[in-house]
Amino acid sequence: MSRSIRDHEILSAVFAKMDVVAMSVAVGSLCSLLFFLATAVLLMQTAPENYPVGAHLSDLSDYLPGYSVSWAGALIGACYGFLFGALAGFFAGVYWNLTHYFALGVMLISSAQLAD
Amino acid sequence: MKAMIHDVDRVNLKLLKTAIRFNARILGLTAGSLAAVVIYIATQASIVKWGDDSGGYLGLLAIFFPGYSVSSAGAWIGAFWAFIYFGTCSWLSYRVYGKVLGTRISALLLSPVSTANPVLKPSILQLHGVSLGVAIGSIAALSLLASTVWLVVRGTAGESVHAALFSNYIPGYSVSIMGGLWGAIELFGLVFLSCLLLATVYNKVVKIRHKTS
Repeated sequence: MSRSIRDHEILSAVFAKMDVVAMSVAVGSLCSLLFFLATAVLLMQTAPENYPVGAHLSDLSDYLPGYSVSWAGALIGACYGFLFGALAGFFAGVYWNLTHYFALGVMLISSAQLAD
Repeated sequence: MKAMIHDVDRVNLKLLKTAIRFNARILGLTAGSLAAVVIYIATQASIVKWGDDSGGYLGLLAIFFPGYSVSSAGAWIGAFWAFIYFGTCSWLSYRVYGKVLGTRISALLLSPVSTANPVLKPSILQLHGVSLGVAIGSIAALSLLASTVWLVVRGTAGESVHAALFSNYIPGYSVSIMGGLWGAIELFGLVFLSCLLLATVYNKVVKIRHKTS
């Protein structure tokens, strides 16, 4: 009895669906925080006067309008981080679930062919 | 302890290992193809914006992606290498995740025996923060170490000014073997904490959304 429950649990774990909304929120929040910290860390470092702080990171403004290595830019970057992170989380979740469905379909077809 | 061994004996370890292998392949395929698409689009977008062989930061990928360039042909080569690297790293990450998680895998379901047909009516996945942190953290740390060693071995450590910028976020990191080792340890810590946060937020949202079900 206990064996069948455990097998059932393992199968449930393998085919468990990823919650796409939760993954979007989680990855978005993490990217938002990391983007903010990436800018904030540069701003908190001591640099000589007129030294360009975060010259490489500020190149991101080519892709992210409004972003700069400044405190206001850190907040704007956090918003972009959430947006792009949420998109990445969304696609990862959807793709993960779809790949499982696809693999399941292939397995069902192959087992049906074997039964024939 | 005796009870624990008895508990492990009752688990169908063969099925568990097969399950972990299956999901590792799925993750490798998922992450690899997503990374390939991202590199392909990024290269094409760069060509549209700055023209063929615009180089820049993206061109630096050629250090790790042999044959890559910011060109139409390079976009396909980049996609191939991105698939290989990210697919392998993700596959390895899931193998480590499964290894650390072990027989606790079923404890991660929202309701372990909630669904009569786990295949056609799947349960909702939850994440184990510590296992996820160990898995992704160790692969990220190894990747940083391997990249640093590669830069040292090819003799361009001194010119690797962009890689050296990591020291802004990983104090003590430098493009050297010792710097790479130190950076790998610190990166493991950072990624571990990030994974804990990711798993906490994900599990919280899952619980909120499926409270009534």
